[in-house]
Amino acid sequence: MANRFTLLGLLGFACLAAAATPAEVATLATEVRSLGWVAYSARSPRGDWEIFAMRPDGSDVRNLTNSPETEDFYPLFSRDGRQLLYRSMPRGQTVSGNDYGRQGRLMLARANGTEAKALGGDGEWTWATWSPDGRQVLTLQPKGFAIVELATKQVIRTFPRGGFYQQPTWSPDGTAVVGVSNGFDTGWSIARLELATLRANAVSVADCCTPDWSASGDRVVFSRRRPHGGENGGYGWTELWQAQPDGQGATLVYAEVGRHLYGGHVSPDGRHVLFTGNLREDGDPANQGAPMGLLRMSDTPMIAEHAELRKVYPLAKSGPALILPAGHEPCWTHSPAPGLPR
Amino acid sequence: MKRWGLMVLAVVALGGLGWLWAPGPATPPFPADLGSVEVVAKLVEVPPGAVFQRELYHYATILRYEVVSCRRGGLTPGALIHVAHYDPWKPRAEAGDARVGALGGTVRSFVAGDRHRLALVSPLDEHYMGGLVDKYFGQHAGVTYWALRTDAE
Repeated sequence: MANRFTLLGLLGFACLAAAATPAEVATLATEVRSLGWVAYSARSPRGDWEIFAMRPDGSDVRNLTNSPETEDFYPLFSRDGRQLLYRSMPRGQTVSGNDYGRQGRLMLARANGTEAKALGGDGEWTWATWSPDGRQVLTLQPKGFAIVELATKQVIRTFPRGGFYQQPTWSPDGTAVVGVSNGFDTGWSIARLELATLRANAVSVADCCTPDWSASGDRVVFSRRRPHGGENGGYGWTELWQAQPDGQGATLVYAEVGRHLYGGHVSPDGRHVLFTGNLREDGDPANQGAPMGLLRMSDTPMIAEHAELRKVYPLAKSGPALILPAGHEPCWTHSPAPGLPR
Repeated sequence: MKRWGLMVLAVVALGGLGWLWAPGPATPPFPADLGSVEVVAKLVEVPPGAVFQRELYHYATILRYEVVSCRRGGLTPGALIHVAHYDPWKPRAEAGDARVGALGGTVRSFVAGDRHRLALVSPLDEHYMGGLVDKYFGQHAGVTYWALRTDAE
């Protein structure tokens, strides 16, 4: 039944996106095909969650983890694209759409999935995010943030988390972290924490999550729930937005009716953005997950054409969006490393 | 026939009374050393939108209490305190989970004016890492407590 709903949803999405011609979609696919690799977690044909890599147009899919005895999820390439972090837990457990950063144990591997090794045990090194040079990770736990040197596993700095509680991402220049915070009016705010001063500011205080930095560090992409009157089971629909790290200049990136847009990730050159298009609010992790998508930043603000959405965003553009395989938390690198022979 | 009818009625009535008097599931005794603060406090209000049912998201909501008496922790009667309750739409005995550990209490729902016996800890950040609904945002700067046990008083 779930698969039937997924199929119906995909057909619906294909219709929504039909404002762009097949030729425009094909041009976009050709444009991104050779621009490195995208890592993501998805259910394998065996039924377990694995880390996969694909070309950004969805081609050349390969299984990086190949471990049927575990559920592997939440992949993060280091900024140079040579290393990969992900989390792993015994087969049969369900990946949580909110707690995935603290489920199972943290794994470190080469970008093509080889030489995987565990860093700590279950529930340790939670919500790990790469330092710009790939030598440290920043972790988030109830006791606070900790920066850990990977070579020695030594904690070199700790500081209070000040209401940050999930999905932290270290900035490309290393000076700040963005994450989800309960310290700014709503429990699901995007906030930035300056590491030198530990001053925090709100980026967006609407119902928000899954923030990420643009590669240049001048924008933060995040998901934000569109104000609603209780439709879709009380959850409304979630859109992709961007703002400056100080919260100024917030603008829509992409919106649809019928899918929640989460997991926004800007390409290393800043020209494209990846996302997960959840048909269900939680991404349906107990089944197949949800199809990912990709679009050009220059085509934004953009909507999948829909009469009601057009009333909300009358000036939004309507461009091509690639429909990619089902997967969660896509992460993009221009490095060739993920495609190297194992 | 009428007499039989009366007898049946009497049996049914007695059975009903027996059901009313039968002891329910035993409530665990209130631990003497749970948390760092133990108070009896009156729930001042339940702000609109502070408690709602969400199946896919867990959250804690902050509620304002007026302290009636303090058994441990040095709070003054009459003081206003702010307490975070996890998944407040659930009965307290059913609210704990793997994320936050054991919670408990006899309170089944939050009603303004009710008195609760509370076992509390602070700071909130060390005991709870998740979404927070705070209808008093910007109105309180002091300690926010985390409720471990909430009994009806």
